[in-house]
Amino acid sequence: MTTVTDTPPPSPPQSNARRMARRFRRHRLALGSLVVLILLALLSLGAPLIEALLGIDAETTNLFQRFQPPSAAHPLGTDEAGRDVLARLLHGGRVSLAVAMVAALCSAIIGTLIGLFAGYHGGWADTLLMRFTDGVIALPLLPLLIVLAAIDLNKLGLPESITQSEDVSLYRIVVIIALFGWTTVARLVRAETLSLKQREFVRAAVAQGARPGRIMRTHILPNAISPIIVATTLSVGSIILFESVLSFLGLGIQPPVASWGNMLTNAQDLIWDAPLLAVWPGLLIFVTVIAFNFLGDGLQDAMDPRAVD
Amino acid sequence: MFRYIAGRLLESIVVLLVVSFAVYGLIGLMPGDPIDLMVQGDPNLTPEDAKRLKALYGLDQPIIDRYLAWLGNAAQGDFGYSRNHGQPVLDVIGSRIGNTIFLLGISLILSLAIAIPIGIYAALRPYSPLDYAINMFCFAGISIPPFWLALLLIILFSVTLGWLPAGGMATVGASGLLDRLEHAVLPVAALTIASVGSFTRFMRASMIQTLRQDYIRTARAKGVSTTRMVTHHALQNALIPLVTVIALSFGTLFSGALITETMFSWLGMGKMIYDAILGNDYNLALVGLMIATVLTLAGNFLADIGYVWLDPRVTIASRADKR
Amino acid sequence: MADKPIRNFFRYWMCALALVCGLAIAPPAFAAKDTLVIGISQFPRNFNPNIESMLAKSYVLAMARRQITIYDPNWKLICLLCTELPTYKNGRAKNEKTADGKDGIAVTYSLLPQAVWGDGTPITVKDVLFTWQAGRHKQSGFGNSELFERITSIDVIDDKTFTLHVNKRTCDFAGISGLELLPAHIEEANFAEPVEYRKRSAYETDTTNPGLWYGPYRIAEVVSGSHIVLERNPKWWGQKPAFKRIIVKAIENTAALTANLLSGDIDYIAGELGMTVDQALAFEKRAKDKFDFEYKSGLIYEHIDVNLDNPVLADIRMRRALLHAIDRNAINQQLFAGHQPVAHGQTNPLDTVYNPDTPKYAYDPKQAKALLDAAGWSVIKQGIRHNAKGERLQLELMTTAGNKSRELVQQVIQSQLKQVGIDLRLRNEPARVFFGDTVSQRKFPDMVMYAWVSAPQNIPRTTLYSTQVPTPENNWSGQNYPGYRNPVMDKVLDDVETVCEDAPQKKLWHDMQRLYAEDLPALPLYFRANPFIMPKWLKGVTPTGHQFTSPNWVETWTAE
Repeated sequence: MTTVTDTPPPSPPQSNARRMARRFRRHRLALGSLVVLILLALLSLGAPLIEALLGIDAETTNLFQRFQPPSAAHPLGTDEAGRDVLARLLHGGRVSLAVAMVAALCSAIIGTLIGLFAGYHGGWADTLLMRFTDGVIALPLLPLLIVLAAIDLNKLGLPESITQSEDVSLYRIVVIIALFGWTTVARLVRAETLSLKQREFVRAAVAQGARPGRIMRTHILPNAISPIIVATTLSVGSIILFESVLSFLGLGIQPPVASWGNMLTNAQDLIWDAPLLAVWPGLLIFVTVIAFNFLGDGLQDAMDPRAVD
Repeated sequence: MFRYIAGRLLESIVVLLVVSFAVYGLIGLMPGDPIDLMVQGDPNLTPEDAKRLKALYGLDQPIIDRYLAWLGNAAQGDFGYSRNHGQPVLDVIGSRIGNTIFLLGISLILSLAIAIPIGIYAALRPYSPLDYAINMFCFAGISIPPFWLALLLIILFSVTLGWLPAGGMATVGASGLLDRLEHAVLPVAALTIASVGSFTRFMRASMIQTLRQDYIRTARAKGVSTTRMVTHHALQNALIPLVTVIALSFGTLFSGALITETMFSWLGMGKMIYDAILGNDYNLALVGLMIATVLTLAGNFLADIGYVWLDPRVTIASRADKR
Repeated sequence: MADKPIRNFFRYWMCALALVCGLAIAPPAFAAKDTLVIGISQFPRNFNPNIESMLAKSYVLAMARRQITIYDPNWKLICLLCTELPTYKNGRAKNEKTADGKDGIAVTYSLLPQAVWGDGTPITVKDVLFTWQAGRHKQSGFGNSELFERITSIDVIDDKTFTLHVNKRTCDFAGISGLELLPAHIEEANFAEPVEYRKRSAYETDTTNPGLWYGPYRIAEVVSGSHIVLERNPKWWGQKPAFKRIIVKAIENTAALTANLLSGDIDYIAGELGMTVDQALAFEKRAKDKFDFEYKSGLIYEHIDVNLDNPVLADIRMRRALLHAIDRNAINQQLFAGHQPVAHGQTNPLDTVYNPDTPKYAYDPKQAKALLDAAGWSVIKQGIRHNAKGERLQLELMTTAGNKSRELVQQVIQSQLKQVGIDLRLRNEPARVFFGDTVSQRKFPDMVMYAWVSAPQNIPRTTLYSTQVPTPENNWSGQNYPGYRNPVMDKVLDDVETVCEDAPQKKLWHDMQRLYAEDLPALPLYFRANPFIMPKWLKGVTPTGHQFTSPNWVETWTAE
């Protein structure tokens, strides 16, 4: 949090944060979710290490080892191409979590900037930006996705190291979500800014001649941060789901990069033969999304200024 | 009031025009036209055939010319011919829109019928074990990938139990409401499970907030019964956020049932729009997406009207100024 | 707290909800055996046989129409609507010169005397003439107009007999399956404005008109996107079909398709338009006691086109090394249970013109490594080969996104190539982008994987002839996507069309296959198979393995 120089904000941030932490800890489901998420993130980050330890590999196919049941060599068995399911789940987790979090963060940043600007300046800027927001909400996502999946990235002047990379489908999804997912945060921040603008401490800062940029940065943003955090946390879960739906439509993350979404999609045809292949990624998506939702819920309760202790 | 509505209408028309051009351009930007795909599927087709067909379908014209031609015809009520259905666009949409409204309508009513009472119930006992259970249930519904949920429903109710048909709109040859309803059960269930969670959460949150208001505390102090307090004092206020959420999600709902429709072979708009885009059926994709856009804008509009209706303190004028 | 009323209220509410849900649940009706419900994965876009060809349409139309000539399940050309095929011997084929002095041919056919449209109107030469005139019209919107252009005039001999004068003499003159008859007595009026024909055709506006159909069945109901109901055609002159009614249902998602089969909503998944072999194999393990599984390999040739303008791949040693490094046999055995035989070229071994002596490339990583060394890729750093200039041996393989069978094979190939030190990158695009742009305008840097579907004895002129390389100058026409240019191959392709005596023609076919295998403009992978998943009681379905689908013999299908 920032230190305040001109006029003190309504309540000292230090004690505020402590109170929030206390309230958050009381929310057992949220706390549990946080633990689960940290665990999943650590496991995913440690995927190469775990692979090395167990002597497994997410990408090497082995046609003679397809659909193996769990064994010492392959703790969760192997998939339709003879790859280790555990290793793929860990790598898939890396991709799914990273894509969701980065995309959520990017759209939160864009949304915050637009919302702050519109809310603070008001007038024409506000009307224009909010109409623009309405337009973006009304824009159909599907053709956009297909077009973006088709654009020749080399023509856009991107370096070859990116366009030739197998991760390019990852960047595409992040960019798409960042470009079209910011509207919720923008509306929230605008509303919050509109009300904060009228508060004493902001008016005082304006009277003292502080520049708009500084006011937004030091006075409005810190006080509008709670809804942003909550909305972003909640959106991570829905982005993970969105990624799985995109995979279902064939527009998601492309092989050989594993993601929970494309693993689940691949498994649906194998449901009669190897149902477990579908259970694992399905379960992980479910647990992760639910955990992010609980986390968001807990944060909301903890940060709600009107909540009673 | 009149000026406000007229202004909003004008704005909406501008947005609609911009979106229509954006969509037309986007579909046009996608590489590959229907003839290219035709050539791939039929090795006998010669380059001369391809050229002749492109000219016939007008695909050799610049995109802006094609858009203006389309716009001109559309203004006269001629929305063109769907290439992938072999029918006029309006006929195709006419046969689909009813199905979508039927499916979405029933599932919306059903999810509200479940969400509102459960949300209130949870709000009356926040942080009780039952509240936790309801929360858990809600999040579970939100967190299942939709195609996965559909597949599980089919496997359980159609394959294993054999109670319900696995897909389609009706048994071929059979007519009757019961048969239609039977086919609607699983898709409706899939959509309801997916949406009931967030509705319940909104209901619960806004009810908790409303119950903290001073006037409710006053009523409670006066000894008003819980039932009366909820139905007569709090419900109206607590419904406002829910109305907003529903109104704003009109357009998404409309095209968003794509997955459910695909899995259950339900002939709705979502699937139609998706196929039209991928199959480069310009006219159909455009009109379908336009309808979705109109619904989104109308939802926005209704949300504002809804505010006024539910919350007498807000006037149209003040809403208009705040925008 | 006064909770009780609320609790009661909830109890009633829940009861009401349960009742509403329960009402709709009733036991499903069982399909009687006089009805056959077929599941396919695609719905026909339109029903006019001449506007655009697509598999779903030809599948359905095969039950309600009959082409004049087609290939039978033994890959022999036969008459379906004619009395006998024209040959020089029976005098129905005669060489002649065209007006401008080129080699032409006149062929005579007689339509079956008993053949009638579904409304009782006899099928006559009038219909042939109308179809030909419509096909020649530039704006009629017919897909392939080449056949109609080739026919310069038609002589009417009598009501049922006609002679076609063709301005190009080729060996396959007898087959005229592309001449799909239209009922002149219905369609002539709709053709008054040719530009509007594709919209006004009775096939689109009045699809259930009996006069449009003349197969064992006729289309009785169409619900666009969902299903088509076919009823017995009372005017059909051949064997009476066993099923009173056939329903063709379109279900796109294969998981849903199998679930529909298991739940009894459909009886049979069509092999031609159902699932891929790997999907069917996964399903077979669970359902083999309930259904018969038949896998018919055929003329769907899966291969990797190689961009020959890329200097790395222009080296024949590199292409041979690639093929030696891919264990196609293991792919077939392990992924497809041996149902998709390894291809050694584009000609299927079942084809009469197949050359069994073409060079073959067995799985041989050692040989592959030796070839790569010889091609200059001998420096191995971190498991990947580099050349003397320090360039990394990295290639890109693209295919259609969302096709799981291809994606699986693609990843296996990636793994296998890594073993010999090639870094294969995968990049996939949605089909419309892939075919509409990347492949057709040769935008792929290295390799693309897809399939060709063809008829038996199809001459691969558009895919191999040097003038068929798509370029901006020729407006991206032609299908020679690798950019293969070999004058010897051009000559063979020219000759094989016109040298019709058995022995010399066979030699040309063999030369073509040998050249293909030596030059490797594409890496052959395997011939795709169609999995037919039939109920145990359904008999008489004969898979063909080519573009003329099994419903062409639908009248022989029976229920036991």
